[in-house]
Amino acid sequence: MEKGHNIKSSLIILLLASILVISNNLPALAHKVIIFAWVEGDTVFTESKFSGGKEAINAQVLVFDRGGKQLLEGKTNNKGEFSFKIPKLTDLRIVLNAGMGHKAEWRIPELEIQEASGVLGSKIPTESSQPVAVGLSKEEIKELIEESLDRKLRPIVRMMTESQSKGPSVTEILGGIGYILGLMGVAIYFKNRGKKRHKENHDN
Amino acid sequence: MHISEGVLSAPVLVTGAAFAAAGISVGLKKMGYEKIPQVAVLSSAFFVASLIHVPIGPSSVHLILNGINGLLLGWLCFPSILVALALQAILFQFGGITVLGVNTVTMALPGLICYYLFGKLVNREGGLLSLVAAFACGFLSVLFSGILVALSLLFTEQSFMSVAKLIVVAHLPVMIIEGIITLFCVAFLKRVKPEVLGGIYGKGP
Repeated sequence: MEKGHNIKSSLIILLLASILVISNNLPALAHKVIIFAWVEGDTVFTESKFSGGKEAINAQVLVFDRGGKQLLEGKTNNKGEFSFKIPKLTDLRIVLNAGMGHKAEWRIPELEIQEASGVLGSKIPTESSQPVAVGLSKEEIKELIEESLDRKLRPIVRMMTESQSKGPSVTEILGGIGYILGLMGVAIYFKNRGKKRHKENHDN
Repeated sequence: MHISEGVLSAPVLVTGAAFAAAGISVGLKKMGYEKIPQVAVLSSAFFVASLIHVPIGPSSVHLILNGINGLLLGWLCFPSILVALALQAILFQFGGITVLGVNTVTMALPGLICYYLFGKLVNREGGLLSLVAAFACGFLSVLFSGILVALSLLFTEQSFMSVAKLIVVAHLPVMIIEGIITLFCVAFLKRVKPEVLGGIYGKGP
């Protein structure tokens, strides 16, 4: 009987904690950082956030090349943003170090940089340098399209960053509690079996 | 206060895992049949607590609840916290699987220390002193955790003192809130079911 009560009072504590979480409007902050980076023209933009949406302010950002050599480092501003000119045409590994053991990274493949910065594009005019009928060179059209695409895609990129930095969902939370209760069942089962065997040995 | 994957060097990870394994084996040995549900409930509470964000202070911090875990469970808080941390790592990507050992030690060891420091005091009949002890238990377990995190970062970050200071300052609001939560939990349990506290110290965890 006492044990039942014992569990009951602990359950009340758990219930209170759960209510607190849910009433806290769920996308609660917690300990995980992410960094998101994209290329626009010759510049790489990065955004750093804690899961839940709070920006990682004044955090160290390190940029490495394919071989692991550090190319440059910088600090995020008060919006968690940091941008730099592409230092070298290579795969970039951007590491965010938010201190206190928080770390995240984002990779930009060489191809993405080439495409965005127009290195690939600049090769094309040499192949067919004659202007297109409209009066604009192929290169200029390409540039225009890229510019407007960048502008149009920016909100979507932002949305993706935000969806990435969402906190845990209710399903995950309840699932986790379910796992723990399941483990409790398994533990009780094994302890119980040990007890029974012990008893049988005694009976024999 | 979860340390992310890929921050710590291998020796630190291995040492943490070894300490955690030792604590867990002691905890599992001491875990009696009737203690299992209580361990599970406190493990769930720890699991959920990390989602409660404390919006005060300069950095992103959340509740930890390792003080009440240690106070009520003693050595059993090692398995309790390990399970909760493993699920947080898998479901929320807090911390990580390789750092599980280190994170378990940084959370569970302070709980255990507070259990030995304040367990007897909390369990005393006297009203005020036991409540003060309960507050100190919640407060100091977070403080000790911060110091342990700074210690494990010793080999990766430049200076121990600056990191420790940073963590402690960031967690000051959490310490106070956890102290108050622990205080209310103890006051509540004392009124409703003093055996929960008394039982442990009566026959050992």
